[in-house]
Amino acid sequence: MTIDWWTLGIQTVNVVILIWLLERFFWRPVAAMIEQRRATAQRILDEAEGKRSQAIAALAKIEQTRAGFAREREAILAAAHEAAELARAARLGEAAKEAAALLAEVKTVMEKEKSLADKAWSERASHLAVEIAERLAARLDGPAVRASFLSWLLKEIRALPDPVRQAVAANGVALEAISATPLAPADEERYRERISDAFGAHPLIVFKADPALIAGLELHGPHLAVRNSWRADLTQILADLTHDNRP
Amino acid sequence: MTSPLASVALFHLGPVPVTAGVEVTWAIMVVLVLGGILITRRLSLVPSAAQTVFELIVDTVDAQIRATMRVEPAPYRAFVGTLFAFIFVANWSSLVPGVEPPTAHLETDAALALLVFVAVIWFGIRAGGLRGYLATFATPNPIMIPLNFVESLTRTFSLLVRLFGNVMSGVFVIGIVLSLAGLLVPIPLMALDLLTGAVQAYIFAVLAMVFIAGAINEEGQPAPDTSSQRTPPS
Repeated sequence: MTIDWWTLGIQTVNVVILIWLLERFFWRPVAAMIEQRRATAQRILDEAEGKRSQAIAALAKIEQTRAGFAREREAILAAAHEAAELARAARLGEAAKEAAALLAEVKTVMEKEKSLADKAWSERASHLAVEIAERLAARLDGPAVRASFLSWLLKEIRALPDPVRQAVAANGVALEAISATPLAPADEERYRERISDAFGAHPLIVFKADPALIAGLELHGPHLAVRNSWRADLTQILADLTHDNRP
Repeated sequence: MTSPLASVALFHLGPVPVTAGVEVTWAIMVVLVLGGILITRRLSLVPSAAQTVFELIVDTVDAQIRATMRVEPAPYRAFVGTLFAFIFVANWSSLVPGVEPPTAHLETDAALALLVFVAVIWFGIRAGGLRGYLATFATPNPIMIPLNFVESLTRTFSLLVRLFGNVMSGVFVIGIVLSLAGLLVPIPLMALDLLTGAVQAYIFAVLAMVFIAGAINEEGQPAPDTSSQRTPPS
């Protein structure tokens, strides 16, 4: 058994060349393709992981935004509730003020109407009282009453200051003596003397009758008016009552 | 009578005799290289069935290198893978009528063993430098230097003898049985011979990896993390 060294050398070179050729045309391209696929798959996985992370982050952001919406909704509701409460309170306050003003106005009107009604009733009562007094006083017209009225007239004349009494009742000055019923001539003469005495002069006195006086004796002149009758008294009383009942 | 173990020159290129084994080797080279070119011409990210098969072969070679040598497979893939492919195809070339496997001749096996011997030195020096490679003979202690040196020769020789013996014996047995018995009788032996050829190709490649790994890993180079092997990401 021998070894052919030429063949050994050729086969060695053949295998070396085959190693080089297969390295160039088979092992390296296929391994590169495997590595490229692995890198591509890894890149796709990394991208998928990145997108998954982005999706998770976006989901978290959406959750956060939704939570923000809920908080904002709560805040808006709270603000609206507070504003409604404020508006309600303000409206209630205004309504209370309006009601108070209306009540005050109504009270004022009612008081005014009540005052007017009281006044009207008072006036009516006064008139009624005066009417009652007129009817009662009409029944008192007699000699005693007339004497009383005469004495009251004389008293009034004497109460006048002297210059005034002398000026209004100088001699010849025309005066009117008015009574409720016509006087008898004797009474007229007697009254004339008593009045002249009161004046201390002799004025021209003319007697007249006026039923409106009810009872009494009044004296009227150019510069004199002595009201001395039930009518004058009742008129004065009515005026006083009406004056007292003014609101 | 010519010895069946002798390589008969078919013709001469000057002083160089060209034997049948060399011719078959050239044919195998052409087939493998053209096949590689055809395969890699249409590589795509979405592989065809054929591309998937050859990617599986490359991936398997890488996995074997990782498992055996505990290193990244790229620097050793072409050498180990080509040894396996060539020996496998050469062993199975006996299926072609009239073709005798080149590995059944001593020169081819010796060439392969010689390449392994040189490759061990080459990768050892490249990994740890000349000093580092020589230091591997002093492991576990300097007393082992002669034994390690002899071992480096004898293991190369054992590669040669193992491959040559197995393939040559298969060819001889089939030839003898074919000459003695009928046409169909050697078929089981031929199937056994195919199995033996595949196993021997695997053994030769694995032993080459073991020898290279012994030269590069004894430099204290850390074994790669096997978890770095290609695994589908979870």
